[in-house]
Amino acid sequence: MPKNKNTKKNPKPKKNNEEKALKKNFREKMAEILELPKEVMLDVPKITMIGYRNIIVENYKALVEYENGRIKLNTSIGIIKIIGNALVIKAITSEDVLLEGEIDSLEFLK
Amino acid sequence: MLLLRLWNYIRGYVIIVVKGYFPEKFINICMHRKIFLWDIKRLKNNEIICSLSIKSFRNLRAVAKKTKSRVSIRKKTGLPFVLNRYKHRKAFLIGAVVFIAALYIITSFVWSVEIDGNKNLNTDYLQHKLADMGIKPGTLKFGIDPDLVANRMILDVKGLAWVGITVKGTKVKVSISEGVTPPELVPKNIPCDIIASKDGVIKTVTAKSGQEMVKAGDTVVKGQVLVSGRMLNTEVKDEQPRFVHAIGTVIARTWYEERCPVNIHPVEKERTGQVENNYALLLFGKKIKLFPGKIKFENSDRVEINKSLSIGKDMVLPFGIIIEKYYENRLTVKELDLDIAKKAAADTAYKQIMKQVGDESKIVKAETRFIDDEKGKLTACVTAECNENIGITQEIGGN
Repeated sequence: MPKNKNTKKNPKPKKNNEEKALKKNFREKMAEILELPKEVMLDVPKITMIGYRNIIVENYKALVEYENGRIKLNTSIGIIKIIGNALVIKAITSEDVLLEGEIDSLEFLK
Repeated sequence: MLLLRLWNYIRGYVIIVVKGYFPEKFINICMHRKIFLWDIKRLKNNEIICSLSIKSFRNLRAVAKKTKSRVSIRKKTGLPFVLNRYKHRKAFLIGAVVFIAALYIITSFVWSVEIDGNKNLNTDYLQHKLADMGIKPGTLKFGIDPDLVANRMILDVKGLAWVGITVKGTKVKVSISEGVTPPELVPKNIPCDIIASKDGVIKTVTAKSGQEMVKAGDTVVKGQVLVSGRMLNTEVKDEQPRFVHAIGTVIARTWYEERCPVNIHPVEKERTGQVENNYALLLFGKKIKLFPGKIKFENSDRVEINKSLSIGKDMVLPFGIIIEKYYENRLTVKELDLDIAKKAAADTAYKQIMKQVGDESKIVKAETRFIDDEKGKLTACVTAECNENIGITQEIGGN
């Protein structure tokens, strides 16, 4: 119950946060109960990797940085940083990106 | 992915190079405006290379302006560009269409009729019959009803047991199976006689049923009744005769004679090895001689080689080339020994007899004589004596 303590101390901005968290919690539970895909219900990105050569990021928001060896994608849960070699955007739509290249690491910048 | 690539090719796309300070921004705005990019690659100096459809390329200018980037086309790919190139080449297009149309028209005719399976029937005769029914080089193949023609062939041509006609490409294949017409047999329940099929001297008569009319040693002529199906009652004179189906074998001695002149100076052909070729073009069944020239050989054998153009095995086209090869012959008159010439003449005569004598009969004795005519020419005369069954059935009262 440390969260309750916090709300008491600084009620206004944190309350909003808590409401959001509650809403999210509720949605997550609903998704679990109804067995619905979570990325649709929760508006989070879905990341699929095929080996280390391909990566598909669905439900992204924007391309933040694009270099040969580094790609940053903005999503609802923060920025996803992909480090690799000779990264090519094979296909891109307003919702998903398909990257190809030698991927070294994947990092979440929350 | 292959399907997508093919789709993109059909629709046409351009590969562009975008130069600007924030390529990420450019891509993001493109996505916003539903301008879809693919195969995006980062180059040096703030440049990216990417592909996009022709349609969305038109909307790209506004984006470029907004992001202050410069767009240049690297390559145009796809079917629309290829077609555009051929738009001005009208003759080429017309040629292509005419070629396809001509090929289609040519292949909708029959250009070759192949007959196989015939042994005794003449191929020319069969071809003539087929032509009467509408199957000949130059007819439209859609107008051919193979089953109908096959049935009519069986009815029209005697000696055919089965006819199969298949139209394949521009070729009509006629497969024939010849049947042996069965001898006209008189059914068992109908009374009949046994008569002589040829002249001869009776050797043995064995009648299983019916009345023997001849005995061994009798001379019979063709058509004579040998075993009668009319059984006369010997005891009661007035009673009507009983009619039976005569069965029996009548073996008779028959004679065959063949003559062949003796040739002491036979002419022999020998190929000298000299060959002359004559070429002719074959167009739509018509022969066009290419270099008509006289063959200088006095005596030669002619061999025709027919080569017709065809697509695959069955699409025979009505174009071809005919090579006529003439092989020169040297004629030499040989001087043969009289005995050898005589023997050769006798052999030919004997062979001719063998052809006449049926398989079931056998030659008992063969005699060779040589006749001298007034001019001094010799003729071999072979007489062969056979034993054979000369009895054939014939209905009583019939012809």
